[in-house]
Amino acid sequence: MTLEYVDAGEAINHSALSAVPGIAPAVTDNVDYERLLKARSESQNWLTYYGAYDGQRYSLLDQINTENVSKLTPAWIFQAGQSGQMAAASTYAFEACPLVVDGVMYVTGWDGWFWALDAVTGKELWRYKHAVPFDVSLCCSNVNRGCAVANGKVYFVTPNAQLLALDATNGEKVWQRTIGDVRAGESASIAPTVIKDTLITGSAGGEFGVRGHIDCWDLETGEQRWRTYTVPKPGEPGSETWPADGEAWARGGANHWVSGTYDPELNLYYAGTGNPAPDFDGAVREGDNLYTDSVVALNVDTGEIQWHYQFTPHDLWDYDSTMEMTLFERDGKKLLGHFDKNGYFFVLDRTNGELQHVTPFVDRIDWGVITRDGKVTPRKYPDKEGEPVHFYPGPAGAKEWTHAAYSQKTELFYVPVADVGATATRRRREFKEGIPYWGAAVQVDIDDMAGSVSAFDTYGEEKWRWRIDYPMAASVLATAGDLVFAGTPTGEFVALDARTGEKLWEFQCGSGHHSSCSTYSVDGKQYVVVPVGWGGWLEGIVPGMLGAGHGSAVIAFALPD
Amino acid sequence: MTIAEELISEERAELLARLGLDGQNKASMGRVLATGSIAEATERADGTMEATIRIKEDEVCWEPDILVLPHGGELELTVINDDKNTHACLLPSNGDQKFLWLMNHSKGRAKITLDGPGYYWYSSPGGNDEGRGLTAAIVVQGEVPPEAKLDRPDQPRP
Repeated sequence: MTLEYVDAGEAINHSALSAVPGIAPAVTDNVDYERLLKARSESQNWLTYYGAYDGQRYSLLDQINTENVSKLTPAWIFQAGQSGQMAAASTYAFEACPLVVDGVMYVTGWDGWFWALDAVTGKELWRYKHAVPFDVSLCCSNVNRGCAVANGKVYFVTPNAQLLALDATNGEKVWQRTIGDVRAGESASIAPTVIKDTLITGSAGGEFGVRGHIDCWDLETGEQRWRTYTVPKPGEPGSETWPADGEAWARGGANHWVSGTYDPELNLYYAGTGNPAPDFDGAVREGDNLYTDSVVALNVDTGEIQWHYQFTPHDLWDYDSTMEMTLFERDGKKLLGHFDKNGYFFVLDRTNGELQHVTPFVDRIDWGVITRDGKVTPRKYPDKEGEPVHFYPGPAGAKEWTHAAYSQKTELFYVPVADVGATATRRRREFKEGIPYWGAAVQVDIDDMAGSVSAFDTYGEEKWRWRIDYPMAASVLATAGDLVFAGTPTGEFVALDARTGEKLWEFQCGSGHHSSCSTYSVDGKQYVVVPVGWGGWLEGIVPGMLGAGHGSAVIAFALPD
Repeated sequence: MTIAEELISEERAELLARLGLDGQNKASMGRVLATGSIAEATERADGTMEATIRIKEDEVCWEPDILVLPHGGELELTVINDDKNTHACLLPSNGDQKFLWLMNHSKGRAKITLDGPGYYWYSSPGGNDEGRGLTAAIVVQGEVPPEAKLDRPDQPRP
């Protein structure tokens, strides 16, 4: 006798088996370009990746200040575990910066996660989970740095190079575009930037020998407006900095994997670019290798490169320059400040890229020397096959991708500094698409390292330093409360006096910090929020903490009522 | 004789069986993942795909162990539990994972959407079904859309 099967029905959304209501208030409907231009003045919100187009990571909120920060306590904790298997389970990390719009928080995670949270209670309002292939190429772990909001939608990218627009009220997909070639080793981790009626993204995958690019998309339809490659083809401007024969340019790297900044008056988007490929074997790519390790200033309407400045010509140390290009003014001049992996702080005239001055910001630099007027002299680099070469800073740099902050009140930069070296031994390999293309064996020091949050004036003079035993690996936040917030690899979230560097408060979060905190207020109450989840490219950043436990929490702090 | 030499002289399935890797409580407690069968989804005229996956009695594994799709897109699955124990099915899908409770001798359906190329794991997320063998793969073949490819000459692949 044949038994009829019991009807198991239709598979349901996994989130249906949770307390998640699946709906959030329609707070982003009126977030448009005009509001984004004035994002800092909406200090109750954190509307863009850096809080404002200038990249300063500075908030006007001052309810939490040097006088009362010692009373700061957790307001809520959101835990983001998951069921099932995921790509790169050993390296996932929280690298995002939470955005907040009128009481609703938007946070991205690893492996295609997106959560909308109640910013007062931490309650999960809706979630989106993109299915990410287990075998996606990820040089530096399964991470995502954040989202953008505008016109009732939220936007983010996934590790398998998809760009998604979601309905901000329920997380339903509005449109999706494939923005990279995963078979070529491309991925995506950048937080998109909304400018006018468009969205700007960049690619990741420089360790796989891809050709970097920056893309512009229509906000409403997802149609591509323009693509600008950050390595020129033969015959294009800059191609003379690559070998005339062969295909080194086609594998050249220069990926834009961290959000850029934007000057609306100049109509320029300032994009940092990544390392050349192969990272450490320069003999197969003779020349300066434009536009690797550079800032490129793009006309946001056309994608045309108006000017560029290269921080590490012919890089042999993996010194990406993707991290923030902070826009500020001094003596009426429009300037751009950039703390590079190579250990130097550059200040440029952002109207034309003209160098103003260069100063070191970390104690140990021996890869080479850059004079105050920008002359670069390499000294120690992997050159001979099989011969180990030790250099400072290591390939994660004197400051990794995590961001500095600039206070308009103190006119100081606050920088998460890493002081650790590495040994690279050149090992040439032929290029194969989708296979890592480093050209060296690399080992970062595990027994000799240090870190700090260091304060510098705009001329690069150090004003104070708060020291720790490990390289700093999380972004810094400055507020008008004369506070600097920062998380450490060992889990402490600290508040420092912005004028002296004195530690005024700390809270042990239970996992190392590798993300970007932000601040906001709801109904007149200020919060500081930090995603906490140790992981990422730890073998490069701080291998001495490779065995520390992972975490997956978002923690918000506030003063007691 | 080394394992490498054995692989040359013996069919893989026979080797898995002889070493007890392909079943419950043989070499180890559970069945080693990805040691089972392989099947292809059927592509419909409209480009959507369909396939059947099932849990066989007392084998605590998915059949097929590897399901191959010709491209990314929508897949309709018939999910069958032929076992005399209760299991479940947690599938990857863009938007949210899909969950199906599978009582003894039950049959259900799942619609999922996946990008390609790449491969994904799905499982039965109860107890340690996943470790005992109820973790299987969906492989999506194909290339990204032409507009997403890099503007460069074709490159050598491994």
